[in-house]
Amino acid sequence: MTQTVLSVRDLATSFFTRRGEVQAVRGVSFDVRPGEILGLVGESGSGKSITCMSVLRLLKTGGRIKSGSANFEGTDLLSLDENALSDLRGNRIGVIFQDPMTSLNPTLTVGEQVMEAILRHRSISRAQARARAVELFELVRIPSAAARLKSYPHEFSGGMRQRVMIAIALACDPKLLIADEPTTALDVTIQRQILALLKDLQQRLGMAVILITHDLGVIAEVTDRVLVLYGGLVMETAPVRELFAAPGHPYTVGLLGAVPDLRDDTHRRLTPIPGSPPNMLAPPPGCPFAPRCPHAMTRCLAELPPLFGEGHQSRCWLQHPDAPKVDAVHEVAA
Amino acid sequence: MIGYLAQRLGMMAVTLFAIITLTFFLMHAVPGGPFVSERMLAPEIAAALNAKYGLDLPIWQQYLNYLGSIASFDLGPSFKYPGVSINSMIAAGLPVTLQTGLLAIICVVALGVPLGVIAALNRNRWPDTTVMFIATLGVAIPSYVIATVSLYVFALRLGWVPTFGLDDWRGYFLPVFALSGFWISFVSRLTRSSLLETLEQDYMTTARAKGLKPGQILFKHGLRNSLLPVVTVLGPVVANLVTGSFVIEQIFALPGIGRQFVLSITNRDYTAIMGITIFYAAILMVMILIVDLLYVWLDPRIKLTKAAA
Repeated sequence: MTQTVLSVRDLATSFFTRRGEVQAVRGVSFDVRPGEILGLVGESGSGKSITCMSVLRLLKTGGRIKSGSANFEGTDLLSLDENALSDLRGNRIGVIFQDPMTSLNPTLTVGEQVMEAILRHRSISRAQARARAVELFELVRIPSAAARLKSYPHEFSGGMRQRVMIAIALACDPKLLIADEPTTALDVTIQRQILALLKDLQQRLGMAVILITHDLGVIAEVTDRVLVLYGGLVMETAPVRELFAAPGHPYTVGLLGAVPDLRDDTHRRLTPIPGSPPNMLAPPPGCPFAPRCPHAMTRCLAELPPLFGEGHQSRCWLQHPDAPKVDAVHEVAA
Repeated sequence: MIGYLAQRLGMMAVTLFAIITLTFFLMHAVPGGPFVSERMLAPEIAAALNAKYGLDLPIWQQYLNYLGSIASFDLGPSFKYPGVSINSMIAAGLPVTLQTGLLAIICVVALGVPLGVIAALNRNRWPDTTVMFIATLGVAIPSYVIATVSLYVFALRLGWVPTFGLDDWRGYFLPVFALSGFWISFVSRLTRSSLLETLEQDYMTTARAKGLKPGQILFKHGLRNSLLPVVTVLGPVVANLVTGSFVIEQIFALPGIGRQFVLSITNRDYTAIMGITIFYAAILMVMILIVDLLYVWLDPRIKLTKAAA
């Protein structure tokens, strides 16, 4: 029996707007195991970020968690009182956000922003906190760490700011790190550096990481297991190799078909997925991907499939024992 | 920093010179003079008076004479009140205006900012709607209406405060209230909207993600970033309040400089007009300089640099 760091069950989160209830997350369950990197992949609006921000209850105005639980080290984060939850945030659970240009406070030195996270959770002196901040800056490979503590965010490049964000997230040796599209706002060469850094730190510090991304390249490179989200639901979950080798959901197949392969000399055209994501103000009763799915059956439009399988699970009626056999990979690629 | 200050002070001197020149010639361009009144003076008396105060000289010479006396910080004698210098006129009126003005400024900051914060933190709930309803009234109702109505209710009807003067400490309530009412409302609305904008920033989520306490999040991360627009308006507001309000000083019979300024215009008391204008301009420029220095302290992205020549 493998124990879990974080165990999310039936999480549902909605945003209440003037136009109505946007059902961003509609019953998501997953486990994060110690020391693994779990990838959450999906397109914009699939609910991947909202899922993680719900777990930490860091939703922006209008967002409300409707149901579910998130068990972290024996406590349910969703029913914990705000004060006790804030003891865990930044301490046992670190977060890195998408845009390092806006995620740091422009009016405080980066040193102060790292130190305040340490001082919040540890009973140590400012001098000790400063020493720890220098240590963290060295850990995330910010050159001349001690001198850079006095700099302001605007004096850093995007990649360096993201390193500061990582230093803040790691300030108190978290058990779990949530990285919400940590490389999306960076240019490609910096993306590689930050990913390599994250992977290296994860192995050295032995923490679990949830990596949110829409980039399958990032998933393939660093994650151990993957959760594919679509329309606020888990569509497929599998160990990363299996997902790429034998995707079980037509949506995953579609995503893989839309990734360019630079080593491929056959000039294969990229295959986009036709249509657009479902309107989450009124999500369809059946599979949310059915309207765009090349294999959709009558049942798909009417009834939401459960997750079939153990270990490698897919939310697709094609996985039903009685379903017609379709070579999904072949059909989409053709 | 020192170079910047030197440059700013130099620019202030230039601005002040321009203001003096403009005011001087505009004032003289207006028909009439200090000794023109309904009761006609005998021509020889008028001529003697004009000669005494140098008004018989060509205008450019009067201007140069005036500049000369300004350079020695002498604002000249009053034309209306014999034997009274403008320096002593300001010295007599200023303490009264300063007392009420400073109290009003304290009220603006101590009430306006917290009320705005309370409103923002309770967005669209009753504390917010209550504060914003009152603030909207406060912005809409002119200060003289507030002054006269409150005077009627609290001084005449209820008798809680005196109707005029500052001899009694209770005398301060109504003038200060009337002076600060508009600005308390204005500042609370500004603080609210600015803080609401800040609260939606990504770095506020980062602050929460660090597990910081609500007080730390609000004051260290939220308020400081929201105060820039508030500080921007506070500079001119301070200049405005410490130089007095004619209407308020008139209604409450306070011998401040706001009242003197307006009286000096109707009296065509040339030196008084000039003196109080220069005084107001100087205070306003000093306040703007202080605001600019505060910006740098509030937002490190703003750097003090000498303007490119």
